[in-house]
Order: sequence, then C-alpha cells, then structure tokens
Amino acid sequence: MSRRRVLFLCLLATVLLKPLVGHSQAPPITFAETIAPIVYNNCVTCHRPGEAAPFSLISYEDVAKRGALIAKVTEARYMPPWHAEPGYGEFVGERRLTDAQIATIGAWVKQGMPRGDDTKMPKLPEFPPDGWRLGQPDLILEMPIAFDVPASGPDVFRNFVIPTKLTEDKWVRGIEFRPSARKVVHHALFAQVPGGSRANVDGVDGRPGFGGLSAVGFADRNDPGLGGWVPGSQPAMFTEGLVSRLPKGSDFLLQVHFHPIGKVESEKSLIGIYFADTGAQKDLASVMLPAAFGFGAGIDIPPGEKQFTIKDSFTLPGDAKVYAAFAHAHYLAKQMKAEATLPDGSIRPLLWIRDWDFNWQDGYTYKRPFILPKGTRIDVTLTYDNSSDNPRNPINPPRRAIFGEQSFDEMGTIGFEVEIVRKAEVDAFHEALAARMKAATDAAGKNGTLGRLMARGLRRAMQQLTIFDRQGNVVTRIGEVGSYSQATFSPDGSRIAVVKNDPDTDGRDIWTFDIATGKGTAITSDAPPDSAPIWSPDGTAIAYVSDRENTNAIFKRAANGSGPEELVYSHTTGSQIILTDWSADGRYICFWAGETMFVLPLNGERKAIELGRERGGRFSPDTRLVAFSSNQSGRFLVYVKDLAAAISQGAGADASSQATQVSPETAVGGIFWRRDGKELFYLSQQGGQGVMSVDVEGTASFQAGTPKLLFKLPTGVLAPAQLSNVSTPDGQRFVFAVVVAPRRPAQ
Amino acid sequence: MRVAVIVLWSLVFCSSLGLAQTTHGKGLRIPDINGRVLTPFAPTGQANVVFFVATDCPISNAYAPMIQRVCSEYASRGVGCSLIYEDVDTHPTPAHLDEQVRQHLKEYGYAGFPAVVDRERTAANYAKATITPQAFVIDASGEIRYRGRIDNLYAAFGKTRQQVTSHDLRDALDAVLTGKPVLHPQTEALGCFITDPALLRKHNHE
Repeated sequence: MSRRRVLFLCLLATVLLKPLVGHSQAPPITFAETIAPIVYNNCVTCHRPGEAAPFSLISYEDVAKRGALIAKVTEARYMPPWHAEPGYGEFVGERRLTDAQIATIGAWVKQGMPRGDDTKMPKLPEFPPDGWRLGQPDLILEMPIAFDVPASGPDVFRNFVIPTKLTEDKWVRGIEFRPSARKVVHHALFAQVPGGSRANVDGVDGRPGFGGLSAVGFADRNDPGLGGWVPGSQPAMFTEGLVSRLPKGSDFLLQVHFHPIGKVESEKSLIGIYFADTGAQKDLASVMLPAAFGFGAGIDIPPGEKQFTIKDSFTLPGDAKVYAAFAHAHYLAKQMKAEATLPDGSIRPLLWIRDWDFNWQDGYTYKRPFILPKGTRIDVTLTYDNSSDNPRNPINPPRRAIFGEQSFDEMGTIGFEVEIVRKAEVDAFHEALAARMKAATDAAGKNGTLGRLMARGLRRAMQQLTIFDRQGNVVTRIGEVGSYSQATFSPDGSRIAVVKNDPDTDGRDIWTFDIATGKGTAITSDAPPDSAPIWSPDGTAIAYVSDRENTNAIFKRAANGSGPEELVYSHTTGSQIILTDWSADGRYICFWAGETMFVLPLNGERKAIELGRERGGRFSPDTRLVAFSSNQSGRFLVYVKDLAAAISQGAGADASSQATQVSPETAVGGIFWRRDGKELFYLSQQGGQGVMSVDVEGTASFQAGTPKLLFKLPTGVLAPAQLSNVSTPDGQRFVFAVVVAPRRPAQ
Repeated sequence: MRVAVIVLWSLVFCSSLGLAQTTHGKGLRIPDINGRVLTPFAPTGQANVVFFVATDCPISNAYAPMIQRVCSEYASRGVGCSLIYEDVDTHPTPAHLDEQVRQHLKEYGYAGFPAVVDRERTAANYAKATITPQAFVIDASGEIRYRGRIDNLYAAFGKTRQQVTSHDLRDALDAVLTGKPVLHPQTEALGCFITDPALLRKHNHE
C-alpha cells in the first residue's frame, strides 16, 4: 500500500471517527507541508527580495513572525490583492485564495504555527533573472530624468513624457515595464500621444512630468491602448493578434501611481517595447459603458450620498469576441458590475468589483475569450459613496463631487476590449460607438459637466502677479509662478491680496504679497475654497467669500493673517457671490451674485440690498456714487449712478435709469476710482482688453469725459467684473495676474 | 575562539535581559542600542511619547515622517520621544538586529531618537503594546495617558484615508500639556502584530 493511500485512509478514519470520539486531534497543519505551498503559489511573486512587496515570505521565520498579520489580511481578502468577485468571469493571473486556504492559514496560526519537517518543504518557484523577461526589446525607452518620490504625504500620480523618436509608424505587440524603485511604484498605465503635445504641461512645476489622473485615459480614447502594469503581474505579450499603433514621432506617456513608504525613493523607469511585423489582423474595438469614462453620465454626487448610482446599457450591433475587461473610477466608487443578456435571454456575468479600490487598477483578461452575439445587451451599474463613512473619500467633510480628472472628482466606466467578428458588421459597430461618444459629449454640454471642466482649465493656467505703469510697462513681477486670480491692491498700495489656486487639489486660498519684499502670506489655508478678497478701507482687514456647506458666506480676517476669521454675512440665493468693493467710509460692501448686484450695509442689520442687473460695483471715494457694469442694453457697458438713488430704486431697477454711461464700448469691469475722485479706470473689451482712463467730475453732478486707452493688457487676464482694486490709490500702478510661459526642468 | 565569542555574546545578551527583567513599574529600565540605560516610561519633562515600531513593518515605516514631525513640533513644549523596536530576531547573531536597527534609524531619518531593541518583549509586555506602530503618551507624573494609533490615516488594511480626520496622538498630547483629560485615552492601532519570539523558537528545532 502506498504511503499516500495510508495517509488517505488515516484521514478518512479521522473524519469518520471524529463525531464518535468528540474532540479528536486534527492532523497538525505545518508550514512545510501545508502553508509553504499556499504561500509559494500565491505570495512570493511579489514577496521576495527586490520585488514590490515590503517584505519577503520565503522562510518559515519570514512567515511565522507575521503569522497573525497574514491570517488577518488574507481573511479580509486584502491579500493577495484581487478585486474581481468569483463567478463574474475567469481571468488570467487571478490572485485569489480559496475559502479553504484562508481557513487553513487561520487554523495554522491558532495552532501555534508548527514548522513541520523541513525536508517536506516545496521548492521555491524559479523566477527568471533580472533583465528583460520577454527577451531583448525592439525599442527601449527610459524616463529622461529620475523622479523623486517624497517620504510621506498623499499618493502621487505623475505622467512622464518620453519621446519615441520613431521615424515610421510601428505596431506594438507587447510592453515590459521595469520600475527602478519597486517599493514605491503602485501601478503604471501606458499610452501614446502626438509628439510634443504635452510640452505645455511637462515640467511646468519644476519637476519631471506633470500631475493628474486622466492624462492617459483621455490620451486617445479610440486607441485600443497600450495597457499597464501592476505589481505581481507577469510581463506578457498582448493576446495573439491584438496590436496597438505607435505612430511615428509620437511620445510615450507613462502614468505612474507612487505610494510613499516613509523614505525618499528615486524612480527612473525603463520600458521595453516589442513590435509586430504587421498591423491589426483583427477588427478591434473598445466598448466603454458609460462612454468616455462617464463624461456624459451626469456624475454629480451630493455630499453625504451613500448610494449614487449610474447605469448604462449597450446592445451589440454585431457579434463581438470579448478578450478583456477593465474598470476605472476614482475614490468614491464602490461597486462596479457588468452583465450581458444574450438574445436568448440567458445572462452571462462579465465583471463584478464589489469594493472598488483605486489602488488596484488591474486589467482583467478573460482566460477563455468568448463571443457575445449581435443583439446582446450589456448592462453596467456603478455605485458611489460620497459620505464620510467612506474612508477613501478624499474630502472631509464631503463635498459635491462632479465629473473630472482630479482625485476628488469622479468618473467611472467598465470597458471591454472586443474583436468585431464579422467584416460585414464592422462599420455598423464603429458607427454605434461613435454615436455613443457623440451622445455623451452632447449630454455633458447639457448637464453642465463641460462648462465646469472648461472653467477649471482656465484656472490651471500658470500666472504671475505683474505690476504695470500707466504706459503698460512691466514695473515688477511678484511671488512665484502659480495660479492666481482677483489680485487687488491694499488701500495704501503697498500690498496685494489675491486668490491662489492649487490646480491639483482645486484648493483656493487668500494670500497677500508685500510688493517691496515679494513675501507671501497665507491669509486662509482651509479646505473650503475661498475667493474674492477685498481690503477694508484702513487696510487692516480682508473680507472674502468662502463656500461652507453649500452656502456662500462673507468672512473677514486681520490682513496680517492673525486671529480668528469672523462671519460677516451669509448668503443663500445659491449663486456664487463675488465681492468687489468696501466703501472708503467703511459702511458698505458691494458684491454681485448671478445677474444681480447687492449693497451690504455693515452698520445695523446686515441685510443685503438688491440692486439691478449689474456687476463689478465700485464706490466713489466719497461713497456718494457707484460705478458698475451692466448688460441691460444688450452688451456690457460701464455706468455711474448716485448710490442713494440706486438703493432707493432697489431690485429690478433699470441699470441705466438715472445713470451716466461712461464707456461707449463694451466693458465688463475692472473699475477703479482714483483717490481724489477725478479719474476713473475700467477695462475695455474692444479689440483685446485694455486699461481705459476717464476724467470725471463728481462734486455737483457727475460728469465724465472721453475715455482714452492707457495700455493693452496681455491676453489671459480673466473675469474683469470680479476685480477689486486694480490700481494704487494714485492711479499710477496696475496689478493683474498675467499668464507666463511655462518653466521647464533642466534636461 | 569561536566558543569564546558565543559565550561573550550570551553574556551580553543575558545580562541585558536580566537588567530589563528585574525592573518594573514606572522605572522600567532598558538598554538602548548604544548600551545606555533608558527609562522610557518614567516621567521626564512635560510628557514623553514611546513609539513601538519595527524595521520591516510597512505601516510603521510609512509613519516615520509623521512621528518625526510630531516629535520635533512638541520638543519645544517639553515632550521627549523614544522608539522601541519589536522586530523578531531570526538571525543567529544578536548583533545583526542591532545593526539592522541602526541602519533603519539612518534610512528613515530618525537621527537623534533614543532607540531600544526589545528582543524579549520586555517593554511591549510592560506597556501591553500589541501592534507596530503604536504610541504611548506618558505624563509628567509617569502615568500612561494615551495608548493607540498616531492618527486615523489607515481605516483598514489597504484602506488609507485620503484625508486624516482624527489626529489622536496630537490631541492626546495637547490635552496632557494643557492639563485636560484625554478625550480618547485608548484607540485601536492598525499595523503589524508584535510577535512573541518564543513562539518561533519553540518550532526552530522540531
């Protein structure tokens, strides 16, 4: 009788006798015979020296000293990391333990982690030596400059642009990625973009590459894509016949997700590219549900919403052979599920990620590609949790999350890489996909997604605070290059208050800069976005607007940044409010919201007085008059009106009634009174933006002369009706946030 | 010669053990990696913080910059910090782990931190520490006023918050330094379990 058979009979006897003898001793689970095989088959690909995992799991000591931890993380299914639910597709390279294996590990730890007979240890799997595992690549690309990953802080997403210098179009059949600092590289995504197309962003912050999450996703959405890399994945050629185009002169775009580990690491990745002899032999398509990463899906998730759901369906216009699935979303996504309903009514589960983890963006290649016949309907359901119960929520307390590329924005899609099986159906298939793309774009235009993204794009521009004289000569530039808006001189002209935007976090804070020294001071540094700074007439305080729990409120704080902030006024109409002036006598603040301008008395009951369809209001130095712009005539013009008259006319008044028109041409704001009240400035929009000067007389009745152009502004000075003190009190110096050319890191 | 070395090492090893084990209470005395005797749980200054760490625990390592930041910020307020390493020594030479810890201190920027290698879990047992990283705050009277996580960055294994919402260690220190009660004197630390080395030794020669 063989040894194995004896063992089997013993086991059988144990099982059969167990109920009879009660607490019989189960055979001890040992490391050598039971645990090592599980660990070697599922863990050591990464948990070995030189690989991505933080420690090795090879010897008995390696495993036993972390026994309790291993039992815990396998039971929680945190390790091995695999996020697709069983029963929803079978995939290549699944890293998943069975329930029985997990129970065995737990039992071994409970039993005190017996070592067992060393001679029964399995052989450690053989791993190929360092170097290219797919053989010598046809093209080797290397990051031109190493990128330093900080020791701590949030995860870093960085895109690196590597010129391919290809002189002819190539077809790619495989890519091998070799990070140099494996412990910090969490995953990588690959794409190709037209050569030089990312030069405007590459290195503008002085470090190699550029930030942001979706540079790869949006790089070329009609391309089948070049894939990606996660720790533990074995390099492999693309599935037979699947090739991707790499056009001549294109840049390779490498997006790397870095995870700081407590000490600084430097990454300089190598990419090996393997070419195919011919182009695609198959008609391939990438089907996304919803299309374009959810661009048109109306992703707009209220704070606190725990179960925001979007659904999409697509009925296949032809037979499709499905090779792979992928999922993409940011931190709020929870569940991502796809099912196919075949024409005969049967249901085929495609992919289910129950607890989406942005950190593990695996591609899911089906073990056995399968055909979904024409008429099959694919249904995708994505759910999101924007409550504070979601520990991954990037913003706390939660804020409204909209579609976008930032980590605190959301998007979401499940995509499928398919082959269109029948030649006759290829055109119809691509037309249907194009129609979906167009529908998504149209929807994004209607539901506000597009508008919000464009507004943000403008804020991303890099600017510098620039002071001009009356002839338009640059007198000085202040502070570092960054994203600024609404620069305003202090009443004595010695300092500038400004909104400083952080395009990476969408943060907006109020800063002041001392003109003589260039020193910057943060007046606010809180999570809610702050905007529209105005100076108190004595220069000791700054008022600003802050978004708090979806309400716009006016706060003020000492202009040196000290002391607590003080609530001045809370506004509930729903439109963003913009402060433009604080009267010289200290009695009024002027702001506008939506289409309407308001005057807020600071004495007595703080009840905002609604004026007409006006904006950008500015009080005359004696607070007798108010200058503003209005489009009541059909285009924006600058008017001056008696303040008392404006207040008594109240809501709905005609802006031009009892008003003097100052600008003959279109002018939207940037209004400023010289301190003696004898000169008025505004920004003309005629033939580019220019600073205009008008001689005015306001002692008896208001009279304005003919405006003359002082100088033209460089392009890119935005939102003039949101500006406050564009000039020093003497009207000699003007400040604007001016777009500057990006800086490049030294090569 | 070889025997002599082993005997010598055993002597050093056992004597350090003996020293640690014979002491108790607030006066827990334990040698640091330089052989200097430390009393990490005894009152010194306004308060002191003891961090249980390990060289090979990723969560413990990820907290290194935060531990350094907290300690340098509170140093001016009379707070001292020390590190207690809870590695399992699987190497036959005891000096090996000391060297590993020295290397770790250098690599992770812990210059100037008093550090103890807690081979036999004397300190861990004393403080009832079970996890690395885990922080203990001792007030000026020698009482342990806080034990637990540094903050709530980790919600679960593999689930890090994008934004820390509870700065437990700082809150505890602020309370102790201003003579207020610590609101949450005990929190659950998330990280690597502190393993009893005896458990491994037991199976070493089966």
